[in-house]
Amino acid sequence: MIWAVVIGTGLLTFAMRFVMFSGLAPKKLPPAFEQALGFVPIAVLTAIIVPAVLIGDNGGVSIVNNAHLIAGILASAVALITRSVLVTIISGLGALWFLVYLGF
Amino acid sequence: MSTSSSKAGATPPNEPETSSAWGEFWIGVRGELPLQLGVVPFGLVFGMLGVASGLSELQTILMSSILFGGASQIVFVQLWATAAPPMFVGGSVSMINLRHVLYSASVAPYLRSLPRGWRILLAYLLTDEAYAVSIKRFMDIPNSAFKHYHLLGTGMTLWVCWQIATIVGVYASATIPPALSLEFAIPLTFIAMVAPAIKTRADLMACCVSGCIAVAGQGLPWNSWIIVAAIGGIAAGWITLRLNTKVAAS
Repeated sequence: MIWAVVIGTGLLTFAMRFVMFSGLAPKKLPPAFEQALGFVPIAVLTAIIVPAVLIGDNGGVSIVNNAHLIAGILASAVALITRSVLVTIISGLGALWFLVYLGF
Repeated sequence: MSTSSSKAGATPPNEPETSSAWGEFWIGVRGELPLQLGVVPFGLVFGMLGVASGLSELQTILMSSILFGGASQIVFVQLWATAAPPMFVGGSVSMINLRHVLYSASVAPYLRSLPRGWRILLAYLLTDEAYAVSIKRFMDIPNSAFKHYHLLGTGMTLWVCWQIATIVGVYASATIPPALSLEFAIPLTFIAMVAPAIKTRADLMACCVSGCIAVAGQGLPWNSWIIVAAIGGIAAGWITLRLNTKVAAS
């Protein structure tokens, strides 16, 4: 079953990459659709980020003594300053390890 | 994401216009390489996460070439691990990849006249990171006869690095101690993409609404909060943009 879903989704993804130079589609996207698509990366990625830093092991929101949250906030600041994916990963993981070492 | 680390991969504007196809290819490769600093750790962690979520090694590895889209692969394994209905997984992952229509539209004027084989190959290779680097080159040299080799160079560089990183991640996962919490590299990668991409009030609304729904919706079945939050965030951003445009016009 998983193969059918992976291949089906893969074909759909390919179709989305191909559609505008396939010769079948209109040359321009409807402006409202284009505007909405522009928000896809921020909306999707934020939906993955926020629970990963806010939800604790017990499945509830964890704010106090949450090492992931502190590391995530620090990494956001680093990302804004350096704009480097690698530096953000290193500083965020480094902060997490340090906080866990401290007993968080 | 086109907004992620495109700065690091930008071709210098003074790069000479090449007169050879493979010269253009190598300019693409060189432009794409700096972005691999972020792509490789992401691929490694995807490989580890895939196996940890119950996919086989082969399934995890082949997903990287069949889907070939980092965020959508992460969502795929997160949803699949909850035994969600296959149609729901496929629909959600496809919705996340819908943004590729934007990239497709953006590069289409430069590629539309190519033979079909070329268009199919380049469409397959059209990812966030390859698009971000190649679209700049296309705008610099719109009339070059070899510009499609640039996208071939950026796309193939990313493809090779992504496959190698996935394979290494799959086979290294058994030897990496869970105490290192390496899976945290995924939200960190996304933080590095999102934080610099928030430029307008509409972007901020999309981000806040998506984050709030994702947390509030934790009780929803099959991890479907991912897709509910994404749709809510897109709607919030779009409505904010519309309202702002109206205010500015009146």
